[in-house]
Amino acid sequence: MGTRERRDRSNKFDNDLRVSFLRFATEHLVKPEAVSLTAVGGYGRGELSPGSDLDLLILHDGSEKPKILADFVNAFLYPLWNKKIALDHSVRTRSETREMAQEDIRVALGLLDLRIIAGSADLASAVGADAIENWRKDQSNHLPKLRKIIQDRESRSGELAFLLEPDLKEARGGLRDINSLRAIEMSGVVPVSLARVAESEALLSNVRDVLHGENSKSRDQLLLTEQDRVAASMGFRDADALMLEVAKAARAVDYLMDLTWHRIDSQVGRSWFKKNKQQNIDKGLVILNSEVTIEENYDISEDSGIGLRAAATAAQRGLPLSIDACVALAEKFSPLPEPWPKPVLDDLVSLIGAGAPMVRVFEALDQDGLIEKWIPEWSHMRFLPQRNVLHRHTVDRHMLETAVHAAALTRTVKRADILLVSALFHDIGKGFPDKDHSEYGEVLILPLAKRLGFNEQDSQQIALLVREHLLLSAVATRRDLDDPATIAFVVEKIKDPETLQLLHALSISDGEATGKSGWSDWKAGLVSNLVAKCLTVMAGVKPVSQPDLLPIEPISEEISLRILGDLTNREEIEIEIVAKDQTGLLSAVAGIMTISRFNVRSAKTRTTNEIAVMRWIVELDTNATMPTAEKLTDQLKKALSGELDLGRKIDERIDNYRKYPGIPTPPPVVLAANDLATNATIIEVRMHDRPGILFSVARAISRFGVDIKSAIVSTLGAEAFDTLYVTDLSGQPLSGERAQLLASKVENILITHL
Amino acid sequence: MKLITAIIKPFKLEDVKEALTAFGITGMTVSEASGFGRQGGHTEVYRGAEYTVDLIPKIRLEVLVDGKEADKVIDVIVKAASTGSIGDGKVWSSPVDNIVRVRTGERGTDAI
Repeated sequence: MGTRERRDRSNKFDNDLRVSFLRFATEHLVKPEAVSLTAVGGYGRGELSPGSDLDLLILHDGSEKPKILADFVNAFLYPLWNKKIALDHSVRTRSETREMAQEDIRVALGLLDLRIIAGSADLASAVGADAIENWRKDQSNHLPKLRKIIQDRESRSGELAFLLEPDLKEARGGLRDINSLRAIEMSGVVPVSLARVAESEALLSNVRDVLHGENSKSRDQLLLTEQDRVAASMGFRDADALMLEVAKAARAVDYLMDLTWHRIDSQVGRSWFKKNKQQNIDKGLVILNSEVTIEENYDISEDSGIGLRAAATAAQRGLPLSIDACVALAEKFSPLPEPWPKPVLDDLVSLIGAGAPMVRVFEALDQDGLIEKWIPEWSHMRFLPQRNVLHRHTVDRHMLETAVHAAALTRTVKRADILLVSALFHDIGKGFPDKDHSEYGEVLILPLAKRLGFNEQDSQQIALLVREHLLLSAVATRRDLDDPATIAFVVEKIKDPETLQLLHALSISDGEATGKSGWSDWKAGLVSNLVAKCLTVMAGVKPVSQPDLLPIEPISEEISLRILGDLTNREEIEIEIVAKDQTGLLSAVAGIMTISRFNVRSAKTRTTNEIAVMRWIVELDTNATMPTAEKLTDQLKKALSGELDLGRKIDERIDNYRKYPGIPTPPPVVLAANDLATNATIIEVRMHDRPGILFSVARAISRFGVDIKSAIVSTLGAEAFDTLYVTDLSGQPLSGERAQLLASKVENILITHL
Repeated sequence: MKLITAIIKPFKLEDVKEALTAFGITGMTVSEASGFGRQGGHTEVYRGAEYTVDLIPKIRLEVLVDGKEADKVIDVIVKAASTGSIGDGKVWSSPVDNIVRVRTGERGTDAI
């Protein structure tokens, strides 16, 4: 099967049709020289697959009586129908054709491939010329419609490169997309390098022909049950090798499609004579034409972290990452130091944690080979097919989908970063024959996690999650949950409640990403039951322990504020504050940080013997100037005395932040529990990071008439995780009821302030 | 001909499948089911709030057999599915008028 066979088949039909068309025309018509038979669509291009319809357009000049014309058409078509040849036909004049093409983009597209088979050459070429002229002249009307058709097709049929049973024609990156590219090229709006997809088209057409065989009723979906046969008859090693080539072909089409629309959009932008104003959003990054891109003249080779920073920013704002940026990053690639610096790891976590908008950004990076450069382990998993009836997607896409589902579950765990990274790499051990993918996954993930910048303990936890990612669902469905030995078996492997919660969230995301065949409410119920039983045995989740911060020497002044370390490093500024304890101190400090445009990366505070010690790690906003310690101290004093209204300034900042396009994130969660070890009530806040969280939380707590003894604030990618230890004014933990009331009050404030 | 339906605990599925295969039964239909009988629901405490679990996950297994073998097959399932504790499930048989194998059109016991 190949191009030559398709051409031969087309030529053979041409000959047969030509003879009968001319014969019936002479027999029936008054002016037989005024009609012509043309082919449109695939047949118009002179290529005919075994299963394809013959798309015929009979043109006439309108001079024949309708009855005579109808008799002629029937006489010509009946023998074909009798032979059970699948065909699609229409009979039109030149002006009717033009009108139809105006109304129906599908007709317009088909006409672009118009080719004469028999009859009047003048009529056929006039209609062909009309079609191309109309397509070019009216492109501003046609192209948006074409784009909509392509998008609808994708949402219906999915992506050819990532489906295990893809539709070769309809799926994104399939044969219909190649035709659309050809149509865009003919519109003359932008050049389309069709040569880049010539091989893809040949391969996909050949696969489709082999799939159909001589059976003209076949579907275009390449089912698992057919893949072995197709692979064997095309000389591939096995079905996996075939599917890898199919995926590569589809990716080439996909990439050209993205690039083409991108070019069309920038073309349209330019023709308005209004250069879109670019908006500076982060170091070296701007938003231009609703895309995140790298500032012109920015030295990429000097900033190895910019790639992931750009990706995280784009994903968190729900914007695409520009193709130009990806190309530039790949060309001037500068490797990251190992282990990755903390801000880079944070950016990776923010990227993964963005949910559905992450997929497109990740794909953009992957198309230019950036993911492989950062994470060489990824190359083994790219387009890796899995021959498993439960799965829908290739291994790489399945892991991305798992991460998307995990992003919705970040509130259920203490370490969103560990959950997200484990989700993205949980099947990293797949595709190595003779190796158990969970066990081998552990071997691969451990060094990778360390390279990404996780410490030993976190890396071990990630490795454990990867190794045991099937444990909960396997045990829940196959072992007796009422048997204490079953629970003991799980608790033996997963020793602490934090890891169990992470594993639970990972199991749910993995199951949901697999699809209905692998996950159901029924199974989810069994797994939850198992987890609940194990948590009871583990005696609950332990809170983060209080920070170890003690004043080194007695303080002489009311407030002392020092900026420690290197003042030129705007990404990691350490600020130490020692002050006499007073109501509202934490919210005042947090507020000052917010209005000085510091983004809090982490903070620890502790009050002992009426003296509060605080250590903050902050990052200065890209467009802000660095304040001096004196100015900060002055502002803090004014805020504590009430001279400076922090609330209003922070509201302004939050309002500003709200103007940015955002992505949907799970709502904030606030939990309360009493900790016997420290004799305090713990308030735990889990939410999507934004300016002023700690200020809002601390202010709400102070107004509730409660003292904040200590706090641990951490930012994990784009997620904030804050733990506050509070007591009532006499230094005692809150009653259970009061603690719950406080938690729901804080949660309400955070939800309404979003 | 009889249709034997069994409601069993999920983790007992493998044992029952093995036992039936050893007995010579080659085909069965398995589906996820939930329900409760005398075992009832149970009360869970989750994040401080108490809630009642009404429906307990079960497996529903269906096998078509020749009428003469029905009692033996029921015994095989009961033996394999039993743990001795409450909630082990139930097995019942019901008469079947006719069976047709879709591929070949065979009818009656030939289609089992």
